[in-house]
Amino acid sequence: MKRNDDFVLKNVGGQDILVPLAAKVREMNCLISLNATGRCVWQLLAEDQSMEDLAAAVAERFDVDKERARADVLIFLDDIGRIGLLEP
Amino acid sequence: MTETLTEYGALVRQMLRLAAREGQPAHGAFELTGRCNLSCRMCYIRHAAGDLKKSAEELSASAWLDLARQAADNGMVFLLLTGGEVFLRPDFFEIYEPLTRMGLVLSLFTNGTLMTEEIADRLAQAPPSTIEITLYGATAATYETVSGIPGSFAACCAGIEALVARGVPLGLKTTITRHNVLDLEAMRQMARNWGVPFSAGWLLSRRPDGASSHVEDCRLSAAECVDLEANDRASAHERTEMSLRESAADKDNNFQCHAGKAAFVISPEGAMNVCLVLSQPAARPLENGFAEAWKQVRRYVDSAPPAVSECRTCDLLAYCGRCPAWSMMESGTLTEPVPYLCEIARARKERYGNPA
Repeated sequence: MKRNDDFVLKNVGGQDILVPLAAKVREMNCLISLNATGRCVWQLLAEDQSMEDLAAAVAERFDVDKERARADVLIFLDDIGRIGLLEP
Repeated sequence: MTETLTEYGALVRQMLRLAAREGQPAHGAFELTGRCNLSCRMCYIRHAAGDLKKSAEELSASAWLDLARQAADNGMVFLLLTGGEVFLRPDFFEIYEPLTRMGLVLSLFTNGTLMTEEIADRLAQAPPSTIEITLYGATAATYETVSGIPGSFAACCAGIEALVARGVPLGLKTTITRHNVLDLEAMRQMARNWGVPFSAGWLLSRRPDGASSHVEDCRLSAAECVDLEANDRASAHERTEMSLRESAADKDNNFQCHAGKAAFVISPEGAMNVCLVLSQPAARPLENGFAEAWKQVRRYVDSAPPAVSECRTCDLLAYCGRCPAWSMMESGTLTEPVPYLCEIARARKERYGNPA
């Protein structure tokens, strides 16, 4: 899976947000705030990634066990998938 | 893990507070032109639409885009495009369309009177997060008494309708003067009929460039301002500004807002300033680089002297909306009291008693 490039990661005062680009504003006139795990996964999704790759990267980056990382990644992917932030 | 921020208001304000602590220039305003096709007597900026000298001094589209790229590289996320009237620039879309691909949260101020079907179509293809149109009255008679231009009311309404029909995010606001105050409720009803938000403001400032305006003839009295605040829901914004000021009160810090801390303005000629109504320090981002100009703006705000002791120890302080920009426009210094705002603060105290 891979992220939808109609959004750009920005930071305001330490808060990471995704900003919709151009025509996307018409569909989604909003900002999406990300926590640290979300930011990490979003950046990895610039390239095509498997669920296992993402879970392994999050486990290493945040020093948590693989099961916990997998659960967090699943929640994030579900969140962003529902609002169209992943490539179909 | 994600949160969708559909309400820009409170959460964005919180982000800007954090940005101000870090000195991130998160919010920019580009005044694309100081020229306007309307002729509002109370306006703080206006130059004639056909002013060739002013037009020649305005930055080119490529210069605006250069500034936007530099600003974004330095942390700008929110960008307001304003004027004057931005649609007087025939190259508006040469500036606007590349900006929509830069990951900025764009907003746009216009009087709406130059909106055409073609412009509305192009805006609808890649809309800003919001467009704000100022309505000057609920009838042609009132509107054109304020705007000074026959036919401008109908043109404004047609512009609003073109945007509403295309679902472009839109809000209406009004600047209340003695000449349109009786239309306030009718203007709010127009906004309801179009299904768009509405807000009102009535604190009319003088021109920061010192040129003459007729602002004294247009301003409401202090008592009228306080009556509006007390009785009119459209004044919620004004009251919120005051309560923010109370909660952030630091009597030695003259600048209480985000100006020069998280926000900046670039004038039509390319000078970087603290805010739309304080044309200082006139740093030069194109000549010296954005980062250096932003440093100058921050230094200007950080080193500003505190308000005079008369203001800092005033028992009306919690009710007062004075800021260094108002002081500069009314007294020529950053620090002196503003008699009109003193009167309003006094009227508030009479109405509400001593602050808690």
